[in-house]
Amino acid sequence: MSTALSATDLGKQYGRKWALSNCSLDIPEGRVVGLVGPNGAGKTTLLHLAVGLLSPSVGSITVLGQRPASSAEQLGQIGFVAQDTPVYAGLSIAAHLQMGAALNSTWDAQVAERRIYDLGLDPNQRAGRLSGGQRAQLALTLAIAKRPALLLLDEPVASLDPLARREFLATLMEVVSEHKVSVILSSHLVADLERVCDYLVVLAASRVQVNGEIDELLSTHHRLIGTPRDLENLPDTVQVIESSSTDRQTTATVRSADPIMDPAWSIESVTMEDLVLAYMGQAEEQRRDLVRSRGGAK
Amino acid sequence: MIRFAWRQFRFQAFVVLGLLVAVAVVFLLTGPHIAHEFAELKGCKAKSDCNYLDNSIQNGDQRLYNFGTALSVVFPALLGIFWGAPLIARELESGTYRLAWSQGVTRSRWIVTKLAVVGFASMIAAGLMSWMLTWWASPIDTLNANRFSTQVYDTHYIAPIGYAAFAFAVGVAAGVLWRRTLPAMATMLVVYAAARVIFTENVRSHLLTPLKVSVKLSKAGAYGFEQTPHGLQFLTKVGSLPNALVFNPVVVGKHGATVTSQWLATHCANLIQHGGPVSRRTSVGFKGNGPAPKAFNECIAKISANFHQVLTYQPADRFWPFQWLEGGIFLAAGIALCALSYWWLRKRVV
Repeated sequence: MSTALSATDLGKQYGRKWALSNCSLDIPEGRVVGLVGPNGAGKTTLLHLAVGLLSPSVGSITVLGQRPASSAEQLGQIGFVAQDTPVYAGLSIAAHLQMGAALNSTWDAQVAERRIYDLGLDPNQRAGRLSGGQRAQLALTLAIAKRPALLLLDEPVASLDPLARREFLATLMEVVSEHKVSVILSSHLVADLERVCDYLVVLAASRVQVNGEIDELLSTHHRLIGTPRDLENLPDTVQVIESSSTDRQTTATVRSADPIMDPAWSIESVTMEDLVLAYMGQAEEQRRDLVRSRGGAK
Repeated sequence: MIRFAWRQFRFQAFVVLGLLVAVAVVFLLTGPHIAHEFAELKGCKAKSDCNYLDNSIQNGDQRLYNFGTALSVVFPALLGIFWGAPLIARELESGTYRLAWSQGVTRSRWIVTKLAVVGFASMIAAGLMSWMLTWWASPIDTLNANRFSTQVYDTHYIAPIGYAAFAFAVGVAAGVLWRRTLPAMATMLVVYAAARVIFTENVRSHLLTPLKVSVKLSKAGAYGFEQTPHGLQFLTKVGSLPNALVFNPVVVGKHGATVTSQWLATHCANLIQHGGPVSRRTSVGFKGNGPAPKAFNECIAKISANFHQVLTYQPADRFWPFQWLEGGIFLAAGIALCALSYWWLRKRVV
């Protein structure tokens, strides 16, 4: 199976700060990928690198087997909905569709017009007068009507109210099933992704913390409850992601391909939210340690 | 891409087109009348025969002429502010570049097309404005015979096309560097005005090596004297050569001598005895209209016998080479700035 997005040691630096570093990923085609992480984790940077708005400081990235934005054909295969769903405020919806038709050789006018009709939008309305939800739908329409092989969406629902959010995600799912398009969707809210995604990438502190098929991740991660000393007795094959202890009890989120047989632990399954929070917590803990060690060295 | 670039630019284009049409209407309504008046003026045998024209020309045509040339001076700057500066800055400012650059058109082609469409439109608009003014003002310019004056040179013929290309490019580059429209507009105005003033003041007259000619003082123009704490000073106005650019008049005698106050004290004692140059200010009126015409004229005659004026000038027949040169220099600077913007957008932005 070919890859939708492949990154090797990818990094992007702004001045002295790394917005993204040591990013290696191989995302297969045909998935709906949730790219999740806190604000400022590097999600936008990664997506901008993928669509060619940015070029990497180090490492390399290929999208659908080609360097991003390397040619008009390559750009034509990617549908991108940027954060805050920018559109031209002064242009009408119809003018946006004309733009799509003029700038994309693969443009499907029927798809675009039908979607605008289904959304109940007046083609003569200026985009500046649309609601947030409508604007997001217009941006999605522009991205879909070019019939992309890969759809990249940067926090498309972050600023939408719950109803618009549900409708947007419903539209997205329709598109995925109708057009067989791969999707990478970023969000800082796990709940948005839970229903639509089958592949997860957790990005925190400018690094990829974990990535994989969601089913597989959920089946290999466990929550253990036991006493503090039990943590040291875990076999090497068990990787502790995050743990918290009181005097008498320890709760740990661990990754283990094999089932854990130790009767000292009571074992619970994890939800996607637990999983994401554990990895974000781990990243945050590492960041604090790093800052403390730098502070100590001074 | 050309169609979409035009679609985005359409509204701004129509505003400027409206302005050009308004100017055209005014010029078409007044042009024939002015041509008629100036033809009459030219045909005048004696000035007194044509006094009736003066009022009309001074109060009507001259005002319109000043207004038209002023409009032609600011027109390229307006294009730079309202066409150049927002062209890329607004995309960067509002975030729509993320929409534009993820369409199936490469960023290079997007940039080049936008720059070409609006850049050429700027040159065409400035060319039309200049051409209309040149046509309308031609009787006045013929009579004034001063094509190198900034009022004519900067607003007529082809130099304004180069200015417009430059103004547009300054606006674009400022927008690319600032990434915001308003500061880009302000920067454009300052940079453009500074470049134009510096070029006009310091570069233009040296584009080609100027010629020098010695002329007798009696033909050189107008003279006067000024009373200063160091004694009497001899003054000359720049002598005029029809349609030429004249600068640096120097009055010299044998062995490079100049008219000093000692020389005047020795040779024009009469002038000083008559109470010196007395007038409203400290200078004697030009052309011998001073309070002591006889002494004044005698002194001028003595100066003419011993000194001559050296005029440094660009001759009238260099007008077109100068227009091409200056227009070309500004056009080249504009192209260089567009290349800089292109490079910056490709490599540096986001």
